[in-house]
Amino acid sequence: MIVVYQPLSGLHRPVAIDPQLPNFTDTRLDVRCIRGTLLNDAQAGVLCDRVETLFTNQGAEVHTYVGEGPLDGDGPVVDAAEIGSGSAAPAEPRTRLLVELRARETDESSHPWSWVLYAASFTVLPGVIESSFEQDIVIRDDTGFLLVSDTLEGRIITRYGLGPWLGNKVLDLTRKKADRLGEDAASKDLSADLYRQLSQDVFNAKMRARVLRPATPVGQAP
Amino acid sequence: MSLFIDSDAPAQFEAALFNLNDPAPGALRRKGWSNNLECERLDARTGSRRYPGEIRAPASRGGDVESYTVVCEERLLRPGLRDPVDDALLSELEPMTTALAETSASRYPELGASTWLVEVFVANPQVATKVSFATKNALMESGLQVSDRTPTLGVGDLEVITRMQPEDAYPTACVRWFATGSLGPNDALLAVISLDPRETILHGGLCVAGRWAWLQ
Repeated sequence: MIVVYQPLSGLHRPVAIDPQLPNFTDTRLDVRCIRGTLLNDAQAGVLCDRVETLFTNQGAEVHTYVGEGPLDGDGPVVDAAEIGSGSAAPAEPRTRLLVELRARETDESSHPWSWVLYAASFTVLPGVIESSFEQDIVIRDDTGFLLVSDTLEGRIITRYGLGPWLGNKVLDLTRKKADRLGEDAASKDLSADLYRQLSQDVFNAKMRARVLRPATPVGQAP
Repeated sequence: MSLFIDSDAPAQFEAALFNLNDPAPGALRRKGWSNNLECERLDARTGSRRYPGEIRAPASRGGDVESYTVVCEERLLRPGLRDPVDDALLSELEPMTTALAETSASRYPELGASTWLVEVFVANPQVATKVSFATKNALMESGLQVSDRTPTLGVGDLEVITRMQPEDAYPTACVRWFATGSLGPNDALLAVISLDPRETILHGGLCVAGRWAWLQ
């Protein structure tokens, strides 16, 4: 089985931030991961854990929530940050951001012709299943004001059969490491793209929150 | 424009055999090639309207399965050729500047009769020129009167302002532009600003009669 990931829209946008640097030392993030057609509660929890690690490594104080509920409540419903992550939170975070993550599967198709050929060729030709997904990212400030809203789209193609597996093994020998498709390359590439875009969106939101904090009252000329 | 049909019936057959028609990475396509595409999924009805002859319209008494087509367009410049910030700003130039102009016009309708000036504070001067041009166009499309005039500051003002935090520097510059007469009472200055080299959005600030307001 070979799993291939292709970014469709947003996931491969240029990114200026380096997620390995402390970009959020002055930020508190409340991250809510919501189950949908792509993720169940457990998977949403795993996503939240990984996002927590991503931003904790960048210096943020992170609180994670799984499931629906008010975004800016008094405290987290499930506070994964307190379950032994040992994050080094700054004494006085300057910016509080509420991040909502929601993923959904937009399409799944199992190319029927491919399975006829798969069987007829004794798995030399691939049986193909593909699915498309969308990841919504909504970021608000602590008053609920919308700072950034983004949708990232991608697709996953799974090719079954001895032929594609063997062919890919041979081709991987000639490919550069970054171009290899075998093993968990799809998962790694998707995670890298998602976390880079998420870091960039949160940073953009942080900067927007920073300038809008002393906002002019609505309707009043500057 | 490149068009890659991925899920119509013949394409399914082709994809199953040799993967020739699929924009995803595979035996014949490297990841870099696929990452250089901007793609969208179109249903058969939308796809056939937008690309007649290339995407088949759905049958009038069509089956119960909705078919989608992945349509991809190659980027003008391959990733990595430009600085990532410049690339991000230029690829979203029109929607960003249009949103900025619309926000300005709708939040302050009383400034409709003012003369609008645009100043861009972006690291790359070539990108700044493009942003300035696009913002002026967007303001004109919103029905506003736009001038090419550039407000100036004295050397002393610049020395003080450039040492300040951006949140304070722009409002201070606004006060000085008005106080020195560089901006008149009928002028509205829209400043388009990149505050940090790690961000890929532009902020907007409005300076009118010595008073400053951040727009986004």
